[in-house]
Amino acid sequence: MAEALTFNAADLVLREGAAPFRQVFTPGEIVGLAGLDGHGQDRFLRVMAGLDQAPGRVSLEMSGKSHPIAGFRDAERQRIVYVPRDRRSTGIFPDLSILDNFAIATPEADRRFGLISRKARLARYMHWKERLKIVAPSPDAPITALSGGNQQKVLLARALARNPRVLLLNDPTRGVDVATRHVLYDLFRELAAEGMALVILSSEIEEVLLLCNRLIVFRDHQVSAELSGEAMQSEAVIAAMFGRAA
Amino acid sequence: MSGSMTPALALSLRRYGFGLAILVVLLIANVVMNPARFHPAAWGTLLGMAAPLIGAALASAPVIMAGRGGIDISVGPAMGLVNAVVILLFVHGGIASPWLLWPVALLLGAGIGAINGFLATVVRIQPIVATLGTYLILTGLTLTILPAPLGPAPGWLRSLSGVWSFAPLGVIALCWWGLSRTPFLGQLMAVGSDDRAAYTAGVNVTGVRFLAYVIGGLLVGAAAMMLTALIGSADPKVGTNYTMIAIAAVALGGVSLAGGRGGLIGAAIGAIDIFLLQSLLTAFNVSTYVLQVAYGAVLVLAVVLMALQDRPTKRSHA
Amino acid sequence: MTARPASLRPAFLKPGFDQTRMRVIGAFAVALALHGLGTLLIPGYSAPFAIRAMLVLAALLAVASIGQTLVVILGGIDLSIPFIIGFANVVAAQLYGQGWNFALVCLLVAVMAIAIGMVNGALSRGLNIHPLIVTLGIGMIVQGLVLIWTRGFPTGSAPKAVSQFVSIGGTFGPLPVAGVIPALLVLTVLIVLVLERTPFGRRLYALGSNPGAAPYALIRPLWVWMVIFGASSFFAAVTGVLLLGFTGSAYGDVGQPYLFQTIAAVVVGGAALVGGRGSYVGTLAGALVLTEINTLLIGLGYQPATVQAAFGLVILLLVSLYGRERHFSTLV
Repeated sequence: MAEALTFNAADLVLREGAAPFRQVFTPGEIVGLAGLDGHGQDRFLRVMAGLDQAPGRVSLEMSGKSHPIAGFRDAERQRIVYVPRDRRSTGIFPDLSILDNFAIATPEADRRFGLISRKARLARYMHWKERLKIVAPSPDAPITALSGGNQQKVLLARALARNPRVLLLNDPTRGVDVATRHVLYDLFRELAAEGMALVILSSEIEEVLLLCNRLIVFRDHQVSAELSGEAMQSEAVIAAMFGRAA
Repeated sequence: MSGSMTPALALSLRRYGFGLAILVVLLIANVVMNPARFHPAAWGTLLGMAAPLIGAALASAPVIMAGRGGIDISVGPAMGLVNAVVILLFVHGGIASPWLLWPVALLLGAGIGAINGFLATVVRIQPIVATLGTYLILTGLTLTILPAPLGPAPGWLRSLSGVWSFAPLGVIALCWWGLSRTPFLGQLMAVGSDDRAAYTAGVNVTGVRFLAYVIGGLLVGAAAMMLTALIGSADPKVGTNYTMIAIAAVALGGVSLAGGRGGLIGAAIGAIDIFLLQSLLTAFNVSTYVLQVAYGAVLVLAVVLMALQDRPTKRSHA
Repeated sequence: MTARPASLRPAFLKPGFDQTRMRVIGAFAVALALHGLGTLLIPGYSAPFAIRAMLVLAALLAVASIGQTLVVILGGIDLSIPFIIGFANVVAAQLYGQGWNFALVCLLVAVMAIAIGMVNGALSRGLNIHPLIVTLGIGMIVQGLVLIWTRGFPTGSAPKAVSQFVSIGGTFGPLPVAGVIPALLVLTVLIVLVLERTPFGRRLYALGSNPGAAPYALIRPLWVWMVIFGASSFFAAVTGVLLLGFTGSAYGDVGQPYLFQTIAAVVVGGAALVGGRGSYVGTLAGALVLTEINTLLIGLGYQPATVQAAFGLVILLLVSLYGRERHFSTLV
């Protein structure tokens, strides 16, 4: 069951002169980030992941204690997991096998007497392969033998193997086919139901409208609108993206 | 930088800043420590002494600028082979005319460059391995055709060593300036900084890289002639020393080993830096051992300072 | 792509890595073929003494190439190896000659070498400077300092045990080979285990394969670079001490042939200099190939200059046969 935690951003200023804002993410919810390219949503996600620094405070509040997230190491320790956008340049390791690509962030989990146990690794991989419906010839095939969608699933499995409390996804369905997208949507809903907090940046409005409970629209590096429930309509989102009143 | 400066000038100052600063400091130090040797009247002789190293650095630069691990470690041995062939042609072949020896030197250099270029771009062997292969072949070949030093060099060539060494360097500068008026240099930089983007934009990446090797080879030919002028003979072992020191000079002159940044001016500045350092330490009458430590220290220090200067623009979270 | 599922194909036909495996097998095959050729052409080429000599020479090259293999998998290159070899060779001889305890000498040399290597790695990765320049510069400084210290005339020698360990006529228990051979085999097993079966090894390959993705996968690039370059210098220092035993006296330039030979051994063994691929078993094969070529050509009566030229030709030939790079437009 979900731990009682909140993932907070307070007085965050994404760019000099931009208005400070606060956000609270809680387990069980899927929050979407939208905006025109380069309007701060990408930077916000990276700041939350501890990858970029910005004035303000990012922290994980858990059972009455506050854990500040000042850098990537803090995020790693608090199991706040970031999945980058560009699969080719920041995701896959093209010379490595599917299995290696899956296990690379959590190799210690497979250690038996100091050495990586192939059996343990394979068992862990099979669990996620089934859950994410990864279509792959053999775990030893190179990752580049997979389709874009299946590569993305392996990268998600790599992130999920870290047992995240908060999952920060940077455009996770970019270049992914429609069938795979729906597998991923179902998975995200399941993860939220199991008590994970998900923040999803997406370049497609339909996707966030379909998937998220709440939507934050960015313009000029500040929050231009926060929508939920009935208010989540594409007209409203587009208006907020372009800085017009809906 | 002052606001009135043109962006291009500011950029090249930024790029060559360290090389130039070291150059000025070393030059002043040399003039103060060794006024006789660095008397303005002697600058011609000094230029002649620096010319082979400058030539070697220039020859190393185009391939490095072409990126994707491009490097030519056969520059030194190639200079050695050209040096040996020219003197053998003169002493044993009786060919003395500059109208024959210059073309032979340049064509031989360009030919070696073309072989390196073919191996690195068409056969697609990693450049350092391809030129390592030619390094070994050229070293062996030179020692086979010329087991021991041989002399002399033709009179006209020896007279090219002093003030007159500005002639070949000047011709190189002129040719490079001419080349910078063509699309080639822009394409070379584009290929060096991002070959995939250049490829997508329709640049013949393989062709540009191949040409970079050939141009480097031509410069090797010229550098070998300047070397021959300086030593006035042929020495089968003199060439190999130049490779590493030329690459060091290129790095010192702000040419990025990742490709796409720097130019021949930088390479020349780096070579002059090393020459001045050499002179200064010789003036102090220090051993060659101290000289070596100084080379290494200046090289490491310069690249570290250059990297620190570039650092604020790109922050890594790792 | 064929329709046949990959899992049904024979292991050596699987895509990707098996290309590396093929290169390793190819390198061993070339070494064997060269040995066969030598046995046909030169009387006594396969005599026990000749084989023992070749094994020791190959083993020394193989130890010197451990570091280069690791660094190349990382996507770097280490030009300081010959300088560190010379450094360890001279410093160990000098201190032992001054009456120091040899174990203490080895410890000191190892610690200093590792420190130098870590500086190499830290500068290259931390400041994003090409390791070629850093290792060349640091190497020159190290060699210069050693020369200043010894005034160019190093003295001293190695203890008998070290000479025995690498002696061509040496034996190891019942085995008719010098101790360095079985030691190298054990070392090989350890290296392969570390590379294939430990988190560090997997991270090394990942970092070499795609440095941009590594930090997101919780890999600390700076740390890995420091460890790997430290290891490279350590094994160079080991080679320096072994060479002291092999030649009997200290010589600052003893490492120079190893500059290009280590790179050649690694490349002939199937590693890609762009990183992410390669194996130490391949390097072993590469070291055997290079030693066979050398012995064969000298045995055929060629001058050292010709041998060197042929060496270059063979490297080019082998690498163009199986060491070609992919077209840049297909690379990440």
